[in-house]
Amino acid sequence: MTIVATDSPAAPALRRFALRGYVPLFPPFAVLLLFFAVPIGMMIGISFQDPKTAQFSLGSYQRFLTDGLIIAGLFRTILMSGLVAICVTVMAYPVAYFLARSTSRWRAIVFALAIAPELAGVVLRTYGWLIILEDRGFVNDALIWLGLVSSPLPLAKNLFGVVVGLTHVVLPFGILALLTSIQGIDPNIEKAAQILGASRLSVIRHILLPLSIPGTVSSLLISFTMAASAYATPALLGGARFKVLATMISEQIMFYINWPMAAVMAIVLLVLMLAITFAGGRVETRLHKKLNV
Amino acid sequence: MNRLLSGLFWISLCLILAFITLPLLVVVAASLSPSSMVTFSPADWTMKWYAALWASKWLDPFILSVKIAVIVSLVSGVLGALGAYAVAYEKCPGSEAIMAFLLSPLAVPQIVKGVAIVLFLSSAGLYTLLGTPGLIAGHIVLTLPFAARMIATSIYNFDKNLDRAAQILGASKWQRVRHILLPLIKPGLFSGMTFAFIISFNNIPLSVFLVRPGQTTLPITVINYMEYSLDPVLAAVNVASLIFILTTIFLFEKLGGFSAQIHGGSK
Repeated sequence: MTIVATDSPAAPALRRFALRGYVPLFPPFAVLLLFFAVPIGMMIGISFQDPKTAQFSLGSYQRFLTDGLIIAGLFRTILMSGLVAICVTVMAYPVAYFLARSTSRWRAIVFALAIAPELAGVVLRTYGWLIILEDRGFVNDALIWLGLVSSPLPLAKNLFGVVVGLTHVVLPFGILALLTSIQGIDPNIEKAAQILGASRLSVIRHILLPLSIPGTVSSLLISFTMAASAYATPALLGGARFKVLATMISEQIMFYINWPMAAVMAIVLLVLMLAITFAGGRVETRLHKKLNV
Repeated sequence: MNRLLSGLFWISLCLILAFITLPLLVVVAASLSPSSMVTFSPADWTMKWYAALWASKWLDPFILSVKIAVIVSLVSGVLGALGAYAVAYEKCPGSEAIMAFLLSPLAVPQIVKGVAIVLFLSSAGLYTLLGTPGLIAGHIVLTLPFAARMIATSIYNFDKNLDRAAQILGASKWQRVRHILLPLIKPGLFSGMTFAFIISFNNIPLSVFLVRPGQTTLPITVINYMEYSLDPVLAAVNVASLIFILTTIFLFEKLGGFSAQIHGGSK
C-alpha cells in the first residue's frame, strides 16, 4: 500500500524534501546515541541491581532517601551550584559588555585575562586558591597583620572556599555565553537611545538588560550545571567534610566499589539537572521568539 | 549620574579581573620559586622546574592531550554546525525536541557521563576502546552541546532579511548557506570550537575514568603525580600548558574568530 501512495506525483518530492531537512542531524545524533544515550540507559539499568547479587532491587534508591548524610549532600550541591551561578553571571556581565563593545587595544588583553583561568587547569587554580585562602594563607596573614582578626578566618575547607574556587573555574564560560549574546545586540540601538537623550542607566535598564536576557539565562544554566558537575574543586577546596553529590559518586566508585549506589546518586543529579535545563530551555525559546522581530 | 555609573563599571571590571588573575599569579610565582615555599622576590627565582618538563614523562601526555583536543574541536565544530543548521536555520519539524536532545549532555554532570561511558564500554566488551578512542568519543559528547548551542545562538541572532533578500534575488540554497549563513555564524562556530578545545584539553572528571596506562592525558598525569608529591614542577606544567593554550586561542581568533567584526559587503 505504501508503494502505491508514493507513486502519486507529489509524494516522492514531498518525501525527499521532508527527509532532506533531517539529513544534517544524522551524524550528531549517531554520536550522541552511541556514546551518550545508550550508556546512560545502561547506567539506569544498573541502578536497579543489587550491589552484591546483581539481581533486581530497589535497595539503593531506598538507602538514598533514608540516609541523612546523602540528603544533606544533595542540598549542599544545590546551594553551592545556585550561589556559583549567581556570582558568575553578575561578575561575567561587565567583562562581557566591555569585550563586546570596546575597540581599544585593551580589549585583547582583557579577553586573554578573562579566558586565562580556564586554561590553567582546575587542579592548579584550586592549588592557587588554597595558598590564598588557607589558615596560613595570604588573606588571613593580611587580616591578622592589620589587626582585623586575632585568629584565622575559616576561608577554605567550607562552602565559602568552594564557591570562590568554582566561581573562578566557571567565570570564563559565563563571559563567553554573555559575550555571544551582547555581540548580537546592534550597538546602534544604544547609540540611538543616547542621542535621543536617554541616560546611561535607562539605556542599561530598557535596552541592554532586556536584549541580553537570552545570554544571561544561558550563563546561569551553564554555570549551574558546571558547578554541579565539578568534583575536583569541591574535593580539594571543600575538604573531607564538605561532600557534594559529585564527590560522593566518585567515592562510591573508587572506595566502596558500589556501582548501583553510584548510579542512583548519578540519576538523582541527572533528574535535577534535566528539570533545570528543561525549564531554562523553555524560557530561552520563548525569549528568542519574543526578541526576533 | 552617568559619570558615577561608568566609574562603578570600571572599578568592578578591574576588581573582577584582579579576582581572575590572583590565583594565576600565585601559581606562576610558585613555579619559579626554588622550593615549595612560594616567594615573590624575582631575585630568588629559578627556571629549574621548567627544565624538568623536557622529559617524556610530561611530553607524552601533553602530545596525547593536544591530539585529542584537536580532533574533538574539529569534529564537534562540524557536528554542532550540522545540528544547529537543521534546528535554527531549517527549523525542521520538532526542532525544539531535537535541540533538547543535542543539549541533553549539558544537563548530565561530567562525572556521570564518565561513569556511564566506562560502564557501557565494560558491559559491551569494548575494553579496547578505553584510552584514546574512548577519550575522543567522551570528549565529543561533552563539547558537542556547547558548540551546537553557540552556533544556534548566532543563527538566531543573524538578520534573516539578508537571507530573504538573497532568496528574492535568486540565490540558491547552497549559495545562501555558503555566502550568507556561514560568514555570519563564523564567530559562533569559532567560539564553539575554541570551547571544545579548552574543555577537552583540561578535562578531568570524564578523562579520569577513560584513561589507560600509557594513554593518559596531561591533567590526569598531573593529578596522579599530586598523590605522592606537591613539588612546584606541577605549577610549571600548568603554566607551560597555559602558555600553549593562549597561543592556540590567539590563532583561533586570528583565523576569524569570535571577535571578528561583521561588516556586510565592505568591498
